[in-house]
Amino acid sequence: MIFYFFIPFMAIGVVVFQTVLSDLLFSGWVSIELSLIVVIYAGFRMDLIKGMSLALVMGFVLDSISGTVEGLFTLAYLMIFTMSFFVSLRMVTEKQYLIGLFSLFCCVLESLLVSLVDRLILSRETSADALLILTFQAILTGFLSVGFFYAMRRIENSIYGKALQPSQRPGTSGVSAET
Amino acid sequence: MFFKNYRTVLFIGVVFLAVLLLLSYNIKYDSAAGLAKKAVLEAATPVQKFFTFCINGVENAWKRYIHLVGLEEENRQLKSKIDALQAELLLYKEGNKEAQRLKGLLALGKELSYPSVAARVIGRQQAALSKTIWIDKGSSDGLKPGFPVIAPAGLIGRLTDVTWHSSKVMLLIDENSNVDVLIQRTRVQGIARGAGSRGCVVKYISKIQDVKEGDTVLTSGMSNLFPKGLQIGKVSYVDRMDVGLFLHIQVVPFADFAKIEEVLVLLPDGQTPSAAGKKER
Repeated sequence: MIFYFFIPFMAIGVVVFQTVLSDLLFSGWVSIELSLIVVIYAGFRMDLIKGMSLALVMGFVLDSISGTVEGLFTLAYLMIFTMSFFVSLRMVTEKQYLIGLFSLFCCVLESLLVSLVDRLILSRETSADALLILTFQAILTGFLSVGFFYAMRRIENSIYGKALQPSQRPGTSGVSAET
Repeated sequence: MFFKNYRTVLFIGVVFLAVLLLLSYNIKYDSAAGLAKKAVLEAATPVQKFFTFCINGVENAWKRYIHLVGLEEENRQLKSKIDALQAELLLYKEGNKEAQRLKGLLALGKELSYPSVAARVIGRQQAALSKTIWIDKGSSDGLKPGFPVIAPAGLIGRLTDVTWHSSKVMLLIDENSNVDVLIQRTRVQGIARGAGSRGCVVKYISKIQDVKEGDTVLTSGMSNLFPKGLQIGKVSYVDRMDVGLFLHIQVVPFADFAKIEEVLVLLPDGQTPSAAGKKER
């Protein structure tokens, strides 16, 4: 229960931190998608209810803080979480390149979704260098996700003596990404 | 049975539907910030402030560090500048002192109305056997052995060895130096002989003569070597109890031989330095 209580605070912390970091390092031009990585981590490692709650709250907080239309990032994060969750049922999400590539793909997907909604539904213009920014942002997210997963594994090991969130779902016959 | 088998899919579907409804509603009505959004923003404000505070702190510390690095460089530059200026100041002070000394020497030369050659001391020899200094003028400047050498304080000695461009000066305090002198107050004459570190000793003054400590000793001009009236020193001690016919008189020279840097060599009357030099060459 305590997990659900802390989700909003954690989400606010992560979103504000990524905003500040992005502002500091790239003057706000490139977003550092820490919240997206957290959602992917939730999809890979957590159970459905916990992970979905996290994705919902994270998306909503990002919607609120970034000032976009409410529900846009919530929907995107929900989609990404669901996709990650189903991927984790089929594959052992341990290999670093798999994590990196999947995060890169999710980042592209999220950006595309947001751009499409912006352009087609809200009729807003996208900037000319959006593709370049998107590419850089996706690569950055890929690298950051590898670091994030590694750090979480180390933290869990040092606190609990083992990985708290297993990379293979119990009761599933996930195909190892090692092969 | 249906719900039990597909509850995961149903759950996901319901959540998606709810989010899509929320998104559609917000797109269609573009409503103002709701309570939930307000709460999120309200909660995010202190977190944002905290991060901003931290980042500003780090940024300021970094800027200060950069500033300090700049300061260190500036400090180093200023220190080297101070060193250079101090060296320059030292040079100026030295120049000023030299100018003062030369001024005194020039005044002395004018006072004496003798032709003279100014010379710089380039070496000293104050060993036990001889007390000499070495000057940078020689026979090419018209100097010859025996010429008297003076400093602002008075007579300091005479030339002994003269080369083309340098000369040795035997000081008054050298044991081989003998100068005809007189006591200024009583005009009693004697011979001042060098006594090394004790200065000079005046000899051949009878015990019946009036000589007191503090009397000034001058050259008498009797030997034709030294002009008359050049200051030599002050009587520091008079011994009347000594065995013999003469007083034992100790004289402290006016000149401090350890500090002399420039001197004047007096030429014989009627000889100019340039003419003397040409003649010698």
